[in-house]
Amino acid sequence: MMIEIGHFAVVTALVLSFVGIVTPLIGLKTRDATWVVVGRRAMISMFVLITIGMAAMFYGYLTEDYSVKYIYATSNSKLPIFYKIAGLWGGHEGSLLLWAWILALYSMLATLIHWKSQPVVMPYLILIESIVLCGFLLLILFLSNPFERIFPVPADGKDLNPLLQDPAMVVHPPLLYLGYVGLSVPFSFAMAALFSGRLGEEWVKATQRWTVFAWLCLSCGILMGGYWAYYELGWGGYWGWDPVENAAFMPWLVATAFLHSTMVQEKRKMFKVWNLFLIILAFSLSLIGTFLVRSGILSSVHSFAADPGRGVFILGFVIFMLMLSFGTLMIRSAKLKSTVRMESMVSRESAFLFNNLFFLVALATVFVGTLYPLLMEVMELQKVSVGAPYYNAVFMPVALGLVFLMGVGPYIPWRKSKPENMKKLLTVPLLVALTSTILFFILGVRKPYALAGLAVVFFVLTAIVIDFNKVSTFFAKREKVNKAQGFVSAFKGNPRRITGIIIHLGVLVMVVGIIFSSMYQAEKILIMKPGEEVNIKSFRFRMANLYGVKGVNWGGQEALFDVYQDGKIITQMRPQKRFYTVSQTPTTETAIYQLRMGHLFVTIPEVAPDGTWARVRILHNPLVLWVWYGGGIMAIGAFMNIFRRDRRRSVPVADSKGVIPEVSPNVAQPTR
Amino acid sequence: MKGFRTWHGLLLMGLFGLFFLFYQGLWGDPTALPTVIIAEPAPEIIAPSLYGEKQMVLSEHRGKVVVLNFWASWCQECKLEHKFLLAIQKRFEDNPNFVMYGVNYQDKDNLAKAYLDQHGNNFEHIVDLKGKISIDYGVYGVPETFVIDQEGVIRHKIIGPVLGDTFSDLVQNKIEPLLNQSAPLS
Repeated sequence: MMIEIGHFAVVTALVLSFVGIVTPLIGLKTRDATWVVVGRRAMISMFVLITIGMAAMFYGYLTEDYSVKYIYATSNSKLPIFYKIAGLWGGHEGSLLLWAWILALYSMLATLIHWKSQPVVMPYLILIESIVLCGFLLLILFLSNPFERIFPVPADGKDLNPLLQDPAMVVHPPLLYLGYVGLSVPFSFAMAALFSGRLGEEWVKATQRWTVFAWLCLSCGILMGGYWAYYELGWGGYWGWDPVENAAFMPWLVATAFLHSTMVQEKRKMFKVWNLFLIILAFSLSLIGTFLVRSGILSSVHSFAADPGRGVFILGFVIFMLMLSFGTLMIRSAKLKSTVRMESMVSRESAFLFNNLFFLVALATVFVGTLYPLLMEVMELQKVSVGAPYYNAVFMPVALGLVFLMGVGPYIPWRKSKPENMKKLLTVPLLVALTSTILFFILGVRKPYALAGLAVVFFVLTAIVIDFNKVSTFFAKREKVNKAQGFVSAFKGNPRRITGIIIHLGVLVMVVGIIFSSMYQAEKILIMKPGEEVNIKSFRFRMANLYGVKGVNWGGQEALFDVYQDGKIITQMRPQKRFYTVSQTPTTETAIYQLRMGHLFVTIPEVAPDGTWARVRILHNPLVLWVWYGGGIMAIGAFMNIFRRDRRRSVPVADSKGVIPEVSPNVAQPTR
Repeated sequence: MKGFRTWHGLLLMGLFGLFFLFYQGLWGDPTALPTVIIAEPAPEIIAPSLYGEKQMVLSEHRGKVVVLNFWASWCQECKLEHKFLLAIQKRFEDNPNFVMYGVNYQDKDNLAKAYLDQHGNNFEHIVDLKGKISIDYGVYGVPETFVIDQEGVIRHKIIGPVLGDTFSDLVQNKIEPLLNQSAPLS
């Protein structure tokens, strides 16, 4: 009964989405705001109704109602309650329902929050969000209905895919969707700006926080997915350039470019068309990503059942959205001639331009790599799959360039920089970078990419430290306090800038983690019997035992390893090979031992049927934790950015030397 | 059209190209995509022999050139290449650094044995019980032939039957140079 109520609620939401499309149109035509009020109510009701639909599904999961086909396919009575709830996004149908719910949530919140401050945007916002929601509800109800029943009713569920029975997997999809779908808010604002012709800086300013929030969720979602792949799939690496990872990474790249380039529009009123293009591209890529994942046209670890009918529908919807948005952009962009010209190639504007260029090149490499196999297949040429070597060769130089820009962009002035200023700015960081390169070379780092990466990291780090020191000193002098307090004042003076730099610091930490964990990874794969030993770097692994184990809904084998370093035992590790009885799926459970911010990582991907030997994979990943520490710092920076308090604007102060530390770029530029 | 610019044209072309690609892609089978494993270490194989005598462990053949031929009794092209395979074995069987295995792919035990009885046999065969070997090696059809070098690295992959030019190429330009330790990578 509950399921039928939920089903009915979602059907009603679909009907209301048509109301959400029609009423703002009438409102715009008749210039009557009451219609828009109706649209707003439809928006709120849609959220409530889809929430009821979600609740009904949860109820079905918790009461173990396996007459619902989707619940039967993704749950089991033996599952812990935590995974029963997560079962909702363990498959295609439920994931889409979650997508729609998050979209409805965002739409409602955006409508309510900006209702007073952005009245002109409202009809367009309601219109665009309703169109997207309508598309997804149609897909859910007609092609992938999670409320569908089956008869005869099975006694028990087929179980949630064991690979997904993992805490990281419980939060990964919702976070990713919060990111994907979150981009729909700035997208709707951009579309509103295009339709209404109010193409100033307003839409950019109004949506900055939405974009940062979506970016934050997307970043965390991607990292979480990487962590899952790292220890649950037993990849030993956190990033496999899997098509589905790429599908999430591409909108991230564009969203990051967008976050940077909007600053130029805010400060210098440039890049207007460009920013519209970027946000449309970002949201389009999240739709394309959904299409790539859901239609199953690319092979990946996330393979879902391929269904051309479903694929055709999503593709039709993607084509509609892309043509609508890019078409409007093309028609309207004629109006938008930038009134401001770039004054010098050595200016912050141009640094941002390079930043964007690099991000788009990075996007292009990932895009080509992801779609190349598909292209070859369609052209009926030899089938190929594009792997890490391609990305390492093409993506890495671009990434290094981007990191390098972090050491330049934030520190050169707007408009035009004098050559002697540049010299002052770059000398010390460059010297430090050079010294660190030599130092690391002496310490034994010999791989060119590792050296280049570390040099760039130290270059940027020095630039950041110099800048922090400069602003702290400036504020300390002005307020006659010590430097630490000076830094606090600097932070209060321009939290947006400082939080941005914190995110940059996080990136640096992550880059160091990536360099060491990928280039200095050591790996051994071999067959071992109990009693045998193997050495990897300075560690000695002895397989002490190999025996059977049993869990609630799985059985399997476990190997016990004694790990020695310098003749002393440092730990024992217990990797497992599990077999989930209900779904008949094997999984490998990784054993990880943390050591000086790196990992020892052991899996047993295969155990002999008679239990006498196991295939063992041992990895040492130095500094791998820095990847996630870096991600954590980035997340903290983004959080602080979202909740910063800088609505009050401070007055610009110039110091006597004529060098103005960047205290507050939020100060209005002189009108031109 | 007024205000039409180059980037409009490029954008539209890109979009339509993409739509076409996606639409076509919907009708393909992505799972058929093989992994590129040439120049990669050959995935380990531990498999029972077709005649059930012993297990074959690939890594035990380190130091030898290993030829793996994926075949099945239902495969027509395999029948065409079979005598050439027999010829390869005959030619190199005295070389202690050469070994060839047939990998029986998605087949029935008795049919496979009947096939070998009918067409003759002079080398060993193993059974890919759960299709695991084929997945590891990215085999999506039979016949396919792999050449693995002394270091256990896959050097060549031949899709389709080994006959005619392919046969002489395989023997003269691939296997022999490897046995003489002077081989390029295909």
